[in-house]
Amino acid sequence: MVELDHSFSTGKPADYNWDAVLDLDRIIPCVEGGKVLELENPDLAKAEIKVKMGAMSMTFKGTVEVASKDEAERRAVLRVKSKDTGGSGYANADVAFSLNDGGGTIHTEAKITGKAASMGEGVVATVLDALIKDFTTKLAAI
Amino acid sequence: MTTLGPENGTLTVRTGKGGAAAKAGHNLVIEVGRWQGSLTPDAVELNADARSMRVVSGSGGISPLGEEERNGIARTIDEEVLKGGNIFYRSRAVTAREGGYDVEGELDLLGVTRPLSFALSVDGDHLTGSAQVKQTDWRMKPYSALFGTLKVADVVEVSIDATLPKGS
Repeated sequence: MVELDHSFSTGKPADYNWDAVLDLDRIIPCVEGGKVLELENPDLAKAEIKVKMGAMSMTFKGTVEVASKDEAERRAVLRVKSKDTGGSGYANADVAFSLNDGGGTIHTEAKITGKAASMGEGVVATVLDALIKDFTTKLAAI
Repeated sequence: MTTLGPENGTLTVRTGKGGAAAKAGHNLVIEVGRWQGSLTPDAVELNADARSMRVVSGSGGISPLGEEERNGIARTIDEEVLKGGNIFYRSRAVTAREGGYDVEGELDLLGVTRPLSFALSVDGDHLTGSAQVKQTDWRMKPYSALFGTLKVADVVEVSIDATLPKGS
């Protein structure tokens, strides 16, 4: 299990940030290589993420679900469950957002197996950290 | 003058990898498909077609390189790295020594010209040599992926292995 913490700035009010984070159609493409395949309902989307590693790429397909939300506290957890389409591995994560005026924080708990995990947990954490930092810069412009 | 090219030799580029996720990448062996060199006792010239790179093999990585991936790398080299730019070497001085030559000159790589020296060895009709090219010296940004955590090593090795035509 890899756990990571990040903060982000949007310069926008908490209400706006709340709506943006819970809009799966908008937030999933903020992950580099992320795409909504089908929005089943406002709280559940089928999605995929294609992670390019130079010539190689890995595609994870699965779901992104709003697992919990507390509008008063501006806290929400997005749950990602996905499988590597080219192997037997999976990438699951709980991404907890805590939002306020101007931005918020993200706490990520991720579990990755298969080929990607064969790089070692330290490398996975470094890549995931870079992916989430990239995500937060896109989130700033959402 | 001795003329060299794919018909009597191979021009190969070897790349390494770096960055935190280096383990995910491959060390590549890339062959230049179209090139022409000329060699006289006091001058060496070489011209390579940047659009003719072919990935021959890759080692390392978390899974083997297939044909699709090798073609993908060649496309990436073409579209994002060399972009069909100039690759031209011209010597300034060639010094003969036992078993070969020491060559000093300049490499024009994608419009930036910088000094580059290397040694050529000759054994009978067999010519070999290699040069280290540090991409950033030619203002190239080494290719990177995975949000910068996987990078092509700055220094690449370019080598030639040729059979000298009879009578040269």
